[in-house]
Amino acid sequence: MFVIITYDINEERVNKVRKILKRYFVWVQNSVFEGEISIGKLEKCKKELQLVIVPEEDSIYFYIIENKNNYAKSILGLEKNMDSYIY
Amino acid sequence: MQKDLYIFSSGTIKRKENTIYFEPKEGEKKYFPIENISAIHLFGEVDINTKALNFFAQNNIIIHVYNYYGYYSGSYIPREKNVSGELLVKQVEHYLNKEERMYLAYSFVEGALFHMQRNLREYENTEEFIFKIKQELEKAGTCNDINELMGCEGRARDAYYDAFNVILKGKFLFEKREKRPPKNPINALISFGNSLTYSAVLSEIYKTQLNPTISYLHEPRERRFSLSLDISEIFKPLITDTIIFKLINNNMLKDEDFDQDVNYCYLSESGRKKFIKEFETKMDTTIKHRKLGRNVSYRFLIRLECYKLIKHLLKDEIYKPLKAWW
Repeated sequence: MFVIITYDINEERVNKVRKILKRYFVWVQNSVFEGEISIGKLEKCKKELQLVIVPEEDSIYFYIIENKNNYAKSILGLEKNMDSYIY
Repeated sequence: MQKDLYIFSSGTIKRKENTIYFEPKEGEKKYFPIENISAIHLFGEVDINTKALNFFAQNNIIIHVYNYYGYYSGSYIPREKNVSGELLVKQVEHYLNKEERMYLAYSFVEGALFHMQRNLREYENTEEFIFKIKQELEKAGTCNDINELMGCEGRARDAYYDAFNVILKGKFLFEKREKRPPKNPINALISFGNSLTYSAVLSEIYKTQLNPTISYLHEPRERRFSLSLDISEIFKPLITDTIIFKLINNNMLKDEDFDQDVNYCYLSESGRKKFIKEFETKMDTTIKHRKLGRNVSYRFLIRLECYKLIKHLLKDEIYKPLKAWW
């Protein structure tokens, strides 16, 4: 499945969260990650994040698209072209 | 779900913040998610240090290295966790027993020829070639030793490649199969595609307990993983050739995609990238598996083939080569 993640994290912890997300997803914008992932890996990632965040202050949103054919992405302005695995 | 990472640029690969970090000589630095990568293919001139290698070993990532011309030259493989002495003994046993070996070798040829015919059936005016392949398949069934079998396979392959001129549209002509070095664009495409298929099969073999050096159709010798050659036979027509037909018949290739001189022709970087893009899409395509009852990708089909072979070696279930049913 395809997941888009956005987050609002207290400055003290934001780097920790980004580091974890970086291992699973592609960093597309300052507080946005996206990428394909399996259900198991996503759970693993969530567990890791739970250890870092403070639930009262931080929030992470997961937008899950079961079938990646059901989404389209269009870009205005600068395209960072971050989602390619051929480099 | 897991992807392969292909690196064409020159630069350095590092471990940084517990993930893969690529620093190209020119261009933007980039992070790749380690959890989502199963193998790395290096085509460019890349520096790497032991810290990174250790990290890849921990995460079970195989690194395949290709030479200047895009040929497979070797792999860095993490310490093998899947070792099985019992299976190795069985593998050798099946190699030494002539009948058992012939059965497996014939199965690989059967799978290969079946997929060749399947490819040709999609196109018009290929009946005579299909007939020739069919004849060779029948002959292969009566062979007594491996050399005869290889002969049948070779003649079938010749007929198959002859059919390419009927199938392929456009300016690309295919005279005969030439390797080391390939001399025209189609040969370059076949060589490169087979190289990729070969390393994909090898990656999958390493995920099972099979020993990649003991093979049945090809003679197991030094310096090569011949089991990977055996299993590739089944998948070459299914993966490499269909990509070639697509690239050429849809006019996706241009002159600058090839690096051509008097006595050789290789894919250039742009050509390789195009090929790999199609290759990855193909490998991720899923098919509803009849027995498993769920969708499996081409990549996983290769692994299933390894599992079937293991079952055969352990005398659990007789091996039948994959025959595409879709």
